[in-house]
Amino acid sequence: MKISLEWISQYVDISDLEPDTIANNLTMATAEVEGVEILTRTIQGIVVGEVVAVEKISKDKNLSLAEVECGGKRYMTVCGAPNVRIGMKSAFAPPGVTIAGDLKIEKSRIAGHISEGILCSSRELGMSEFHDIILEIPAAVKTGTLLSEIMPEKDAIVEIDNKSLTHRPDLWGHYGFAREIAAIFGRELKPLDLDDLTAYQSLPEYPLEIQDYAGCPCYCCMEMKLAVRPSPLPIQWRLHALGQRTFNLLVDLTNYIMLELAQPMHAFDGDKLKAVKVGPFGKEGTFTTLDDQPRKMQSKDLMIWNEKEPVALAGIMGGVNSEVSESTSKLLLESANFLGSRIRRTSVRLGLRTDASQRFEKDQPPINTKVAIQRFISLVKQSGADHEILSRLTIDGDLKDDFRPVNVSVDFLNARVGMQIPKSEMFRILKSLGFTAEDKDDKTITAGIPPFRSAKDISIPYDILEEICRVYGFDNIEPQLPQQYTEAVHVNVKLRNEHKARRTLALGHGFMEVHTYSWFDDYWLQMLRFDPGKTLVLENPSAGNMSRMRTTLLPNMLNLVRQNNLHRDEFRLFEMGRVYQPTEDDKCDETTRLCGISYRQTKSYNLELHFRELRGILEDLALATSAGDLSLSPLEETKDKSTIAGHQAKIMINKNKVGFIGIPENRILKELAPNAQVIWFEIEFDKFFGPIYPAIKYERSSEFPGSWMDFSIVWDTDAGYDKLIEKIDKFSHPLIVKREFVALYKGKPLPQGKGSYSFRYLIGLKERTITGEEIEEFKKQYLEFLKSQELELR
Amino acid sequence: MKQIQQQLIDDLSKASSMKEVEEIRVRYLGKKGLLTLQWKNADFKSMSPDERKNFGIEFNKTKNLAEAKIREAMEKQQAAGSRSIDVDATLPGTDRRLGCLHPITLIRMELEEIFHGMGFKVLAGNDVEEEFYNFDALNIPADHPARETQDTFWLTNGMLLRTHTSAYQVRAMKKFGTPLRAIFPGRCFRYESVDASHENTFYQLEGLMVDIDISIANLIGVMKTLLGEIFRKEVTVRLRPGFFPFVEPGFELDCQCLICEGRGCPTCKSTGWIELIPCGLVHPKVLEYGSIDSEKYSGFAFGLGLTRLAMMKFGIPEIRLFNSGDIRFYGQFPASGSI
Repeated sequence: MKISLEWISQYVDISDLEPDTIANNLTMATAEVEGVEILTRTIQGIVVGEVVAVEKISKDKNLSLAEVECGGKRYMTVCGAPNVRIGMKSAFAPPGVTIAGDLKIEKSRIAGHISEGILCSSRELGMSEFHDIILEIPAAVKTGTLLSEIMPEKDAIVEIDNKSLTHRPDLWGHYGFAREIAAIFGRELKPLDLDDLTAYQSLPEYPLEIQDYAGCPCYCCMEMKLAVRPSPLPIQWRLHALGQRTFNLLVDLTNYIMLELAQPMHAFDGDKLKAVKVGPFGKEGTFTTLDDQPRKMQSKDLMIWNEKEPVALAGIMGGVNSEVSESTSKLLLESANFLGSRIRRTSVRLGLRTDASQRFEKDQPPINTKVAIQRFISLVKQSGADHEILSRLTIDGDLKDDFRPVNVSVDFLNARVGMQIPKSEMFRILKSLGFTAEDKDDKTITAGIPPFRSAKDISIPYDILEEICRVYGFDNIEPQLPQQYTEAVHVNVKLRNEHKARRTLALGHGFMEVHTYSWFDDYWLQMLRFDPGKTLVLENPSAGNMSRMRTTLLPNMLNLVRQNNLHRDEFRLFEMGRVYQPTEDDKCDETTRLCGISYRQTKSYNLELHFRELRGILEDLALATSAGDLSLSPLEETKDKSTIAGHQAKIMINKNKVGFIGIPENRILKELAPNAQVIWFEIEFDKFFGPIYPAIKYERSSEFPGSWMDFSIVWDTDAGYDKLIEKIDKFSHPLIVKREFVALYKGKPLPQGKGSYSFRYLIGLKERTITGEEIEEFKKQYLEFLKSQELELR
Repeated sequence: MKQIQQQLIDDLSKASSMKEVEEIRVRYLGKKGLLTLQWKNADFKSMSPDERKNFGIEFNKTKNLAEAKIREAMEKQQAAGSRSIDVDATLPGTDRRLGCLHPITLIRMELEEIFHGMGFKVLAGNDVEEEFYNFDALNIPADHPARETQDTFWLTNGMLLRTHTSAYQVRAMKKFGTPLRAIFPGRCFRYESVDASHENTFYQLEGLMVDIDISIANLIGVMKTLLGEIFRKEVTVRLRPGFFPFVEPGFELDCQCLICEGRGCPTCKSTGWIELIPCGLVHPKVLEYGSIDSEKYSGFAFGLGLTRLAMMKFGIPEIRLFNSGDIRFYGQFPASGSI
């Protein structure tokens, strides 16, 4: 939204204020200013001239030779504008004058004709970017008048961020901003010139009926005749400064009032209308808007009807069938109020966003429908254009023109600000914003919310609080910390354990934390031949193959192996993230998972050792998070589509399953990275934690040295370590302090399928050093035990 | 023996490397060293007890002196850069175990610690949320543009992916009541095309404080303290109007650009200010939804864009890097953050 400060200055005296000061104050009290642009018009030496003769001199280039009279002097000029015609007045740059673009006008020869000076377009005068036609100046302006005497040379255009205006429909026009600036700087706001329309009360009403008050709370119209003529210069330069084209008085005025009051207006060809109704389209069909585009309509779209024929897309654009043309003898002026959400829905669906729809979307106050017509008539009269009013102001619906009272306690206001603002200051601010303010009793004030402020924006005491403090100035509020909190703040055990796990993996084991998206990629799942089964599904996914919410982190993580295998020979990745399981009642069971991946770009590395590294990491994780005793089930091969095919083992905490660790099958490995080892694990993390500060019990170490003893036992590798331990831990002896696993050896001279498992025992007593006999006795008993278990020493 | 002694001193004075000193040591004190042989080859039997005693004293004196001289020479060589053991301490280390944490995690850990110190609980809401908590309970009306598919990921079961961490406000109020000081970081989603500056998946951290007579002055005070902790220096802030349906009044909190200190630079787009924290007093309707008496209690809420903060703090130019899966990106954030 662009604001012309020259326009604002019509309502508030800002002559002593720099544009930047105004912009900064608006940002701090009203809405975010994105920038200020200084507009300089190049009008020195430009005079008003009348075209007294025109002769076409070239067909293809549309060139004319025009004779221009400028207060006694006459010039011949070659002009390419399509709108040049006898009797029109325009801006003329005689030789010697410099126009926009630093171009000095000189006598020249064009298409074989002498051309002295030029008739100027808006762009040549630095008024705007429009240059396809020459400026039209109303006939009332005398020829020979210097433009610099009747048009301000400078303006400052303040650009406001539209997003900061979504809740302020009143700020979509200049008068709203004038009111804000007057309030902020404590100045007087001049009233708008409005026609009271009483002179037309005796005229007949226009036939009007709203059939959908929800969609159209209020509709005003008036039938009139209006001469086609150029608009007064101020209207033209202001519209140009804001990037709006000018056409003629009628069109320009509807645009001008929209930019002034935020109330969009529309003019119908009155010859084509008999009566107006407002109601929905009622079926599916087509409607051609005045830009000649056929639009696909839906039943609920709100329309303006002429009896049984739709003539305008309410609040968005008129129809081609009721467009004002040169033959129009009378027109129907519409100033209506529409429900924002209805207009927005239609406009978004059709991809047709207009200045009008943009304003209606914000829910304009109904009062402005009448004010806009009053303003229109006033401006027509000021322009001196011939006109005739044919109907009285006809209104259907509720104008909602009352001030809405709200009672606010002064103590409430001061407590919420956090400081004392004098009541007189509160009154001053409210009144400057157009509110009424009076004492209800000694503790309460009654604020009257003006009808031009939307009810959505202002209705409760908190809203009054905002109005007062933004104008009072947030910068004037002294920062103050709230009272000290004496309650203990408990650590969130679950979240803290997530961090613990992150740190265990990243600080201790070289893992890199990654994030993947919360949904699956169906194409990738197909590659993995993985079917997650029932998932939550996105109604509007970012892509068709990304509609299913993840129920496991693993597939997306595996994709990262494929993505990154060229960057490093080995890496370990993890993600701590949410997964989403649909529940029986079609809701969502959302839990946290921890998924890790270890990647090694070699097949020669011992896979079992690689796997044991991962198991060690899981053991560390369980210890660091106090989750409990970790164990793994033996690896089993699975081709089940509901898992990643390959080998898998259950991860268990205190014998309860909390996740899986696995090695993908070769077919999948080929997709991920050729000649690589990949081991993954995924833990249901909500089942994987204990106290943050576990109760650890210290045990005193013996003061007497013990003895270390190594034994290597031959065992079936297929049977596995756990089974062996089960066996040898049947041996109990009072001297055993601890047993450690040292190493596993496979290979010659051991036969295939056999391994040598080395254990180291520490034996000793707390009270004394053990004797050589005791050691020998222990050894004897142990070897006998092994024999009884049919275990062979290596 | 005196001669050997002199010879040793001469040799050592010529030695120019640790290796040469070591060679000299072997030559004199080794198993077959000149000095060692003096002892081994000595004909003790032919010596009188006094001679034997003198020889012993003389030998030990010479040996001690030799050892001292050699040690001295070694120290000299060592100081000059030569090594006595084959360990080059300047070679890069191996077996390094420090991994990386996601930049969002690093920021989260830091903020959680700051807020914990300021008396805030850390909570977590869900990614998949009910429409009610994401919109209705936050005073966002049914016809609000944000509720349409243009901005929100909807699920076929009628739920949605939360568009902001504010969605947990009313749940937190209901669960914990008053007084309430809490933050809730989390993943948020917006239906948007991903490019350098747009992401459909990002992180926010919502903060909420509800108590008796919480004021705008308190809000400014807490935000100033918070930013001072984040940036580890006094920061200048300004509050200006901002519109969010669940706060009233609503603000945009700007912090003076830390790069140019307010003079204007490309980072702050020449304004001198960085828009940082949308915030405001909790709308009384939201308090009511949270079963809190809005006559008695008031509060403030604020939202920190964790992703944005991480971009600022680490100089990350493109938002899509966070979920890119590229380890060349993640590899740049060593797990140095802590709590």
